[in-house]
Amino acid sequence: MSPHRIAVDWSRCDGHGLCARLLAERIALDDWGFPVVSPAPLTDDDLGRARAVVRACPQLALRIEHT
Amino acid sequence: MTTTAHQPASAPVDDTPPVLPLGASRLLAGVRPDRPISHAEHRRLAGPLVHRTHAWLVDASHRAGLLGRGGAAFPVATKLAAIATADRPEVVVNGTESEPASWKDRLLMRRAPHRVLDGALVVAAAHQARSVTIAVHDRGSASALLAAARERGDAAAISVVLTGGGFVSGEAAALISGLEGRPAVPPGRRVLPTVQGLGRRPTFVSNVETFAQLGLLATLGLGEFASVGGPTEAGTSLVTLLGDPPRRGVAEVVNGTPLSALIGPVGARPVLVGGYHGTWLGPADPLGLGPGLDRAALRAAGVHWGAGVLAVLPGDTCALGEVARVAAWLASESAGQCGPCTFGLASVAHDLTALHAGRPVDPADLRRRLGLVDGRGACAHPDGVVRFVASALAVMPDEVDAHLRGGCGRPLRGCLPVPGSAA
Repeated sequence: MSPHRIAVDWSRCDGHGLCARLLAERIALDDWGFPVVSPAPLTDDDLGRARAVVRACPQLALRIEHT
Repeated sequence: MTTTAHQPASAPVDDTPPVLPLGASRLLAGVRPDRPISHAEHRRLAGPLVHRTHAWLVDASHRAGLLGRGGAAFPVATKLAAIATADRPEVVVNGTESEPASWKDRLLMRRAPHRVLDGALVVAAAHQARSVTIAVHDRGSASALLAAARERGDAAAISVVLTGGGFVSGEAAALISGLEGRPAVPPGRRVLPTVQGLGRRPTFVSNVETFAQLGLLATLGLGEFASVGGPTEAGTSLVTLLGDPPRRGVAEVVNGTPLSALIGPVGARPVLVGGYHGTWLGPADPLGLGPGLDRAALRAAGVHWGAGVLAVLPGDTCALGEVARVAAWLASESAGQCGPCTFGLASVAHDLTALHAGRPVDPADLRRRLGLVDGRGACAHPDGVVRFVASALAVMPDEVDAHLRGGCGRPLRGCLPVPGSAA
């Protein structure tokens, strides 16, 4: 288990929803289309895909944080 | 001493509420109902200003258990310790008091401005501060502070800045952003002001009452400062009482005082602790038996003391309507930066307004959406509004039921003030 998690800069996120499509097992969308990120730390296996999601966000609103 | 105005000139209306004598008189010792205490009077009451070192302030505020008075109740010693004197930090005194239910900060600045100046000077001297800025939102406080600074010879380096903006613009990071000429909204990524604040420099920013308490601590010394107080926090706190307590106004209260001593028997009336980011308590909550005015113990019980507001809702107003009205204002005060806050609070306020009007609303779905908003913003505004609304729904189940059946039959008196309304 790596001590990392996905964090959202809420002031940047516009609810495009790409992250929830790319990492559906960790990111859901709320009633208004904004990401609900699982609070569980990322597994080592997830980390690579999480980085890809961070790069894919059109608003650059996601980042990987140490927990 | 300089002043900067970002607001159109208007004649100040002195709407300052009365000071209630409720057991302590330190910061508010000798205050007059109609004018600020002069510097000569202040020095007679407070004695000569005593300066202390940075290390002394860190140690004494730690031993006194002093917590920040702006609402977050952050330990003052921790914040002070994060500042290195060698960095020549900036000092920002936050007097913006954007919580509409609170009056304590404006009363302190308007009636006892030298307490605020003393505190700002003590902190500035202990840290060899590069600048000292007092930021306020109202003309009455700005003019009282400026007049007070002119009365004394040691306050020439203090700037008083009149800033505009709504509820969230008073949040520390938003305030710094506004002082730098950028939009006064909270930044998306949190950087502590003690690391990078005003002008990207280390900054000690705290609430006006916190500064006044630090000035008092320096002048009295730890022993006398801590001669009164509660089990975890020494000294006193300023409290705003509104709604239907025995008396309305601002009081200085010894920490640890039972809340029932401030608001009397409340019966079945709901009590709001902490203001519009605070917590509603109902008849089932052991208010009088609880920890009293003890921020840490209250927090452990899930109650946020916030900016120190205690409101008792009168029995003859529509309680749900009062909550809906404040929630609608709070939703409108979202900075509009963060989706869950912008859309979530609007949706919550919409449902509360509909419920108040007797239109069909699913309370379970409303509670679910409150859970969706919590913790998902750049600042604590959405969390605070969720706490305010969720605790109201929890302590007013009968009110919710009555409105689901069409209404409670009581008029909405507007006892909880929101800006732009007559109440």
